[in-house]
Parts: sequence; structure tokens; C-alpha cells
Amino acid sequence: MGVDLVSLPQMMIARPIVAGAVTGAIVGDIATGIKLGVMFELLQYDILPVGAVRYPEYGPATLAAVATAHAATGVLGLGLGALVGLVTALIGGVSINILRRLNSRIVHAASPTLESGDPRALVRLHVGGVLRDAVRAALVTAFGLFLAWLARPLLAGPLSARDAIVLATAAVAAALAAGAAGTLRLVGKGPNLGWFAAGLGGGLLVAVWLR
Amino acid sequence: MAAVKGAGLGRALLRLFAVQGSYNYERMLGLGVGVAEEPLLRDLADGQYRPAVARGARFFNAHPYLIGLAVGAAARAEHDGTPPDQIERLREALCGPLGSLGDRLVWAGWLPFLSGLTLVAVALGAGLSAVAAFLMVYNIGHVTLRWWALRAGWTHGTRVSTALHHPALHKATALLGPAMAFVVGVALPVSARYLAAPFPRWGQLGAVVTAGVAFLLLRWRGDRLSGLRVALGLAAVALVVGWIWP
Repeated sequence: MGVDLVSLPQMMIARPIVAGAVTGAIVGDIATGIKLGVMFELLQYDILPVGAVRYPEYGPATLAAVATAHAATGVLGLGLGALVGLVTALIGGVSINILRRLNSRIVHAASPTLESGDPRALVRLHVGGVLRDAVRAALVTAFGLFLAWLARPLLAGPLSARDAIVLATAAVAAALAAGAAGTLRLVGKGPNLGWFAAGLGGGLLVAVWLR
Repeated sequence: MAAVKGAGLGRALLRLFAVQGSYNYERMLGLGVGVAEEPLLRDLADGQYRPAVARGARFFNAHPYLIGLAVGAAARAEHDGTPPDQIERLREALCGPLGSLGDRLVWAGWLPFLSGLTLVAVALGAGLSAVAAFLMVYNIGHVTLRWWALRAGWTHGTRVSTALHHPALHKATALLGPAMAFVVGVALPVSARYLAAPFPRWGQLGAVVTAGVAFLLLRWRGDRLSGLRVALGLAAVALVVGWIWP
């Protein structure tokens, strides 16, 4: 899943809403998977992956979040799952930067070979990059699952229902804020701002109607 | 040339799906571009093939879905016997426009538009089917764009700017901007309701107020703060609040 973000094939398999739903289906708790998927999808709006910009990795993060929260009743697992996911996203982002630096060193060292136009060397270097990203993604996912394994016992004891709700409230609030701020950055101050405001108004009406 | 067009374009398209596989700060996507371009260069004469492969793998950065335009155009230019320095200039000239167009069309248009629709559909109870529809529809657009870009680059060669001015591209960009803004606008409050519905009243109120404060923080110090940092900060505050709340 992790390689889809950058390396292969960028088909949005690692998009949080997809990662959450798939992980939820695997662990037998689709509702929690989709709920955490929605939360991390909103956080993803904060990112515009242009140029060499650095960003957190929310795909494996969502997977770790669902692994933490599944089977917990109500909102109990939501906040703790989000916390585990956020830490995993941070580590994922750092690992992407480290990998790109490592790739830069390897490519720099191989410059004479690349300039000779040897196609086999070129393909070998490129495939090496894909494999390194696969290892990186596997390590980040394993780290997230390890965090989930450490965190899950908290749901059974030390974290009270009220604490869990406070944590979930903070996570949902942050996701909404990041989603709104990220979208506003995309929309800008031009004519699309009016469309965004109209959408917000319509969405509020729908939300009230659904109550 | 005809043989290249068939099998070569197919191979190049497959390789384009991994164009970012060796992303690095030295050549950015250059290696991936070189690997994707290589099948289109195989029938060049012995003295031309290796220099063309080397040129193809030099620095390049653009939107990954539209990079096929550069791959096809550069390969075609190599076949047409265009001087190397002109091919280098073509590659340099394509980085900016392909990046800018792709970012507006996909990252700021097609992707958030469909993602917003999916969030609304999920909040209204569509569940897994909405997620499956997102993946399918998104990738129809994604794969079509990659294939069109590669073919257009190969067809136009050094005159590839003609393809960049294709009316469909500009119409799609013009339509997707407002559509994305509207749909994500709808998705935000609907998703808020979906996520906060199981909370008690104080939790719902707390979520709205905290979201407002966090939003203002992100707008005010957007240069230093990110959604992730704010989320981690709020989670830390929530843990402290939960600990000291009697």
C-alpha cells in the first residue's frame, strides 16, 4: 500500500479513505475503517504534493489507526486510533525524506554510468529505488502496527470513556480544521471561493437535515 | 517507427506508472523518465541510442500523470534527428507547464473533487460502494490522462506545446476548479456531522470550537504549522485534559 503514494502505481490505493475501508474489511470492522478513513482523508487535504515538498504519509497511518481502533465500541477507539495514525504519518513522512536523500547519493555516485547511456544500469538503479521504497513502506507499516499493538491494551483499562471522547474530539477537530484550511489554499481568493462558500452552505443544510 | 508505436508505446506506458520509483533530489524524476523513454529509443542507430538514453535520464520534474508528454515528445525528437541541445531545451521547457497543468488538473481538481464526492456519499451511508466507485472513476481519468499524454507527445514531438493547448484540457481545468471547491465545501460539514454524531453534546460542541480555533491557527501560521502538527498538538492537549479532569 505504501509504495502507491509515490513509486508505483499512484492509483490512490494508499488514499486514507481507501486504506481505511480496505483495512476495516480485513479486520472485520468496516464502519471503524471508513470512519478513520474519512478523518485521515480530511487531514490529507492539507497536502498538495507538488515539487519536492515534504508531507506526512497518511495511507499506512490509516491502516495503523484502524488496527488500533477496530472492535472498540462507539467512539472509544477513534481518538486512540487517530493518535497512533498521526505518529505513524509523521514517521512515514520522515522516512520518505530519508529515502530521497539516500536515492540522491546513489544516483550521484552512479552519474558516470548514467551519462554513458547504459540502459541496464539505468533500469537497475530505478528498480533499486522502487525496492527501497517498498522496504521503507513495509517498515513504516510494521512500525504503525507495533504502535497499534502497544496502544490497544489502553482501550481496556487506563483510558476511560471520557478520555477517549476528549481525544476523539481533538482528532476530529484537527481533521476538520486541516481539511478546511487545505481546501481554502487550493481554492484561493478567486471566483472559486464563492463556490466553496456555496458548498459549505449546502453542506450545513444537509448536515442539519440529517439530524 | 510503426513497431515502436505499438509495442514501444505500450511498454513506455507501463513504465510510466513507476516513473517516480527512484525519486531523488539530484535528478528528481529523471531516472524514471529515462526508463520510460528507453523502449521508444530501441530502434535508433547504434551511435544514437546510448546518448539518447543518457539524455532521457537527466534532471526532470513535472506532474507524474502528464510526464508521458515529455517522454513521447523527447523520444520522437530523437527519432526525427533533432539536435541534442534542442532536445535538452525541449525537456527544460516542459517541466514547468506540465507540472503546473497537472497540479491544477489532478491534485487541485480531479482528485479532491472525487474525494469530496466520496466523503459525502460515505456520510450519507453509501459505505464501501462509494470507496470502490472512487477508485474506479478516479483511475479511469488517471489512466486515460497518462495514455493521452504519451500518445500526444509521440505524435507532436518538438511541437508538443500544441497538445498542451488542447481545448479539452483547459475546459476540464476550468470546470474542475469550481466543482472541487463546491463539493469539498459540501463534504466538510457533512463529514463533521458523520464523525461527531456519536459524541455526547459537549464533545460535539468541543469539536466545533476546537476546529474553529485550529483552523484560525492554520490560516494565521500556515507557513510554520501543518495539519499534522496541529493534530498532534491537539491530541497531546487532549491527553493532558483527560489526565487532569477530575
